[in-house]
Amino acid sequence: MNNAAFLPVAFEVIQLVGALLVLLVAVVAGKQRKFWAPIAGVAFLASAAAGLFQWIEVAETGGGFFFSTPDLRIMRSPMVVMDGFSAFAAILLGLVGFVALLGSWDLVKVLGGRAAEFVALTLLAVAGLHMMTMTPNLVVIFIGLETASISFYVLAGFIRQSRESDESALKYFLLGSLASAMFLYGVALAFGATGSLTIYGANSIRDFFSLHIITEPGILLAGLALMLVGLFFKVSAAPFHQWAPDVYQGAPSGAVGLMAAGVKVAGFAALTRIFVGGFISQIDTWAPIVAVVAALSMVVGTTMALVQKDLKRLLAYSGVAHAGYLLATLVGGMEGVPPMWFYVSTYAFMIIGAFTVVSVVRGPTSSDAPIDAFKGLANRSPEMGWLLAIIMFGMSGMPFFAGFVGKVFAFVVAGEAGYLWLVVVGTLTTVIGFAFYLRVVSTIFASDDDGDDIEPSMSARFAVIISAVVTLFFGIVPWPLLDVVRDALPL
Amino acid sequence: MPVLSILIALPVIGAIVVALLPTRRQELVYPVALAMSIPPLAVALYMLWNFVPRDASFQFAESVVLVESFGISWSLAVDGISLFMVVLTALLFPISIAASRSITDRVKTYMVLMLILETGVLGVFLSLDLFVFFAFFEVVLIPMYMLISMWGSENRAYASLKFVLFTAVGSAFLLASIVALGVMTGSQMGTFANFDFRNMLQADLSSTAQLALFAGFGIAFAIKVPLFPFHTWLPDAHTEAPTAGSVILAGVLLKMGTYGFLRFNLTLFPEAAVDLAVPLAVLGVIGIVYGAAVAIVQPDIKRLVAYSSVSHMGFVVLGTFALTTQGLSGSVVTMISHGLTTSALFLLIGMIYERTHTRKIADYGGLAKVMPVYAGIFLFSAFASAGLPGLSGFIGEFTILIGSYLTLPVLTIIAAFGVILAAIYLLWAYERVFTGPVTNPKLEGLKDLGFRELAILVPLIVLIIGIGVYPKPVFDRIDSSVGIILDRIEATTDFEVPEYGTPDGVVELHYDAEGDHEDGGDH
Repeated sequence: MNNAAFLPVAFEVIQLVGALLVLLVAVVAGKQRKFWAPIAGVAFLASAAAGLFQWIEVAETGGGFFFSTPDLRIMRSPMVVMDGFSAFAAILLGLVGFVALLGSWDLVKVLGGRAAEFVALTLLAVAGLHMMTMTPNLVVIFIGLETASISFYVLAGFIRQSRESDESALKYFLLGSLASAMFLYGVALAFGATGSLTIYGANSIRDFFSLHIITEPGILLAGLALMLVGLFFKVSAAPFHQWAPDVYQGAPSGAVGLMAAGVKVAGFAALTRIFVGGFISQIDTWAPIVAVVAALSMVVGTTMALVQKDLKRLLAYSGVAHAGYLLATLVGGMEGVPPMWFYVSTYAFMIIGAFTVVSVVRGPTSSDAPIDAFKGLANRSPEMGWLLAIIMFGMSGMPFFAGFVGKVFAFVVAGEAGYLWLVVVGTLTTVIGFAFYLRVVSTIFASDDDGDDIEPSMSARFAVIISAVVTLFFGIVPWPLLDVVRDALPL
Repeated sequence: MPVLSILIALPVIGAIVVALLPTRRQELVYPVALAMSIPPLAVALYMLWNFVPRDASFQFAESVVLVESFGISWSLAVDGISLFMVVLTALLFPISIAASRSITDRVKTYMVLMLILETGVLGVFLSLDLFVFFAFFEVVLIPMYMLISMWGSENRAYASLKFVLFTAVGSAFLLASIVALGVMTGSQMGTFANFDFRNMLQADLSSTAQLALFAGFGIAFAIKVPLFPFHTWLPDAHTEAPTAGSVILAGVLLKMGTYGFLRFNLTLFPEAAVDLAVPLAVLGVIGIVYGAAVAIVQPDIKRLVAYSSVSHMGFVVLGTFALTTQGLSGSVVTMISHGLTTSALFLLIGMIYERTHTRKIADYGGLAKVMPVYAGIFLFSAFASAGLPGLSGFIGEFTILIGSYLTLPVLTIIAAFGVILAAIYLLWAYERVFTGPVTNPKLEGLKDLGFRELAILVPLIVLIIGIGVYPKPVFDRIDSSVGIILDRIEATTDFEVPEYGTPDGVVELHYDAEGDHEDGGDH
């Protein structure tokens, strides 16, 4: 394979160049917003375009491995893989980053001088997120994870004057580091058990399992469990979710969308890459654990969301439930990958849209967002009210909204894998979930509005419209996306 | 020509047209929405005209594969059972929209929701793919929820949420069962999953699987019907909904439940259906008596009619689980008849409510003197609902009783009291509202029904009389589809569908005045 190839790492390179340019321009041209917008926007769209080129290349050549290191025996493995999986992740993350930046542009405007750092960190975070999806090497996955996580710690605490924001950042940092450490320890133990850090190529984990049977799997089990826990934490699956509501609530409303969407996308991509790609032969070992955590996430997320009075916390807990539905696709092995992509890509846009509306209504630097503040939103701003209602219906899993298609396919995959009890838990929690989503919708359409009219900015308006269009379009006509994700498989 | 796809698409197109009307021209919304609800009715009538009677196969069938790997397809068709549900739906929507003249607040949203609701309901009755069926089954929830919660009366928030949660809990079981059945069907066909109804019929299910899936489907439909003890959402939702919402709820939404029992529970799980027939019929009879008894003491006239629905739908369930030709055919006819009579009653109550803004029976008295035409139509509708011979309610419920007597004689005798109770609660309500002196001064000087209101009611009256006097064309189309269901039950279980001696015997013993129904279901 070509070691000098640019295309497989184009996404990361473009993002990093974009981030550096933003910082450079901030120094050279002064703190002028008008330069950052096009640079960051172009970087995200160019990354998505790079993903598209990767997709075409993979469709023609079947993809492959890059940047192998043949000299060191242990490390004799590719560092980068380009397949349908990573290419789709690139397209998705590029677009998600773009829409999220649109949604947080109000915050950028408010931040004034420090906004350059904000934009640069956003680009860096997304670069890290994609890195988690494009490498077969467990250590590189960890590096990507940390690149993204550290950026997000900073983003969460970006409003330094705000106690809530500080608290949010510190909490995220402490618990997040613990999770990262667990993941890394898991990688080390898995290396100890298999003698490999890589999923593909020579001396890979897959090769190891095709040639060996582990009779005393203690270390391997511990490694798998720790890796799972680390990633469960990142995607906020119960019982590793406690940070999410506090962090989401405390972080500036304008910045939460990307955190919530990006981490879900990359977290589930990494889970799939490692467990479906690498440890597929051990599926009987890890799938039951995943199924239990999935069920727990659905139940805990849904029941806790029922009693929330704050929309950001509600969305955080609903995110826990969504992590559960997404985990249900994981137990299906390779069959679950296309549904996982469908679910996570539509969810990413929905959650960005939802947080953008929060940012519009409560202000981009705000922390709390009581549901009562959204009373009569459909009268105060018909556009925002209706779009948020569409997004809520989408998340709740109503038919003809994208969430429904994603959920049903997740259930079918889980049922096919023999986890019918998980299907029952999933459908029941979906229904209970209607209660809190509909409570938000009722609040939006309440006629006794006591707030002022709201005039959303153009960028926020675009972000929310894109989210709602994705929700509605792929709910009514899911086949185009389903056709695409069918090819978005790991090698 | 994909008639059924066009039929499903027409209301959506109408909704888009209404949504695109300029905001400044609010006065256009009502006539445009009304006009947009007419083409579906025309298509439905075209279907009714071209439907081949005495043919049990699915007609106007069309099928396009949507997701190959999951075995999901856009399969639509009608048979004798769904045909009338579709026509009823297509008829009641223009009527409800026409009756929504008094809606002035956010009228555009209202009309858009009504038209989307129509698409959802039509989709439920036409889909043969269970995935698509479920999608439509659920999509009905959103517009109905919003209609109740945005345009309902005082207690609307509570009623609408209760409606959604009850229905959605049922849907959860339905979805889980559909997924399980789809996966089982698929694995037996050697594919990942398959959701086509006709393929599911071929699936070989164990007794346990049949029972579990029957329960899963059954809970969803029992809540929708609603079957006692799942009925508690109904009085609230019906009472709080705006008039058109009540009409649609009672007229077609409840039928989604009984239709589901007929189409899916009896056909897909015949073994479980035979095993569980008696308990379900008992619940139906409890519903008949309980609904009627509670209706008698209601102080709110709308709530009274709501409870009468529980009673009437109990008859439908009794007929369905009698598992005889007459029972099933009678159920379908009662579904039609209940859709017509209850809609008429809700429309009438809506019309008087617009004038007086009260639904309390105690606030009325002597109304017949003030509004004689109104009183006459109300009495007519009450008689139709109570099952006066010569009107549609009689045909349906009497056929059910004939059918269920074959298999469930004791329950049938108890159920027959429901007919008497219906006469009591309706006529007693009539007496209190319409007869005697005018006690409430506010009632004096009320205008009788206008031309628009009469035009809304006349089609219902004509159909109630038409089916009551000459039900043969209806039975001709229902009987063979019902026969297929029973044939399948006989073929797959050791249950034998009992028959009354010779077909001629049916004529002479049980049909007299309007005895056009000679061959009573023995095609």
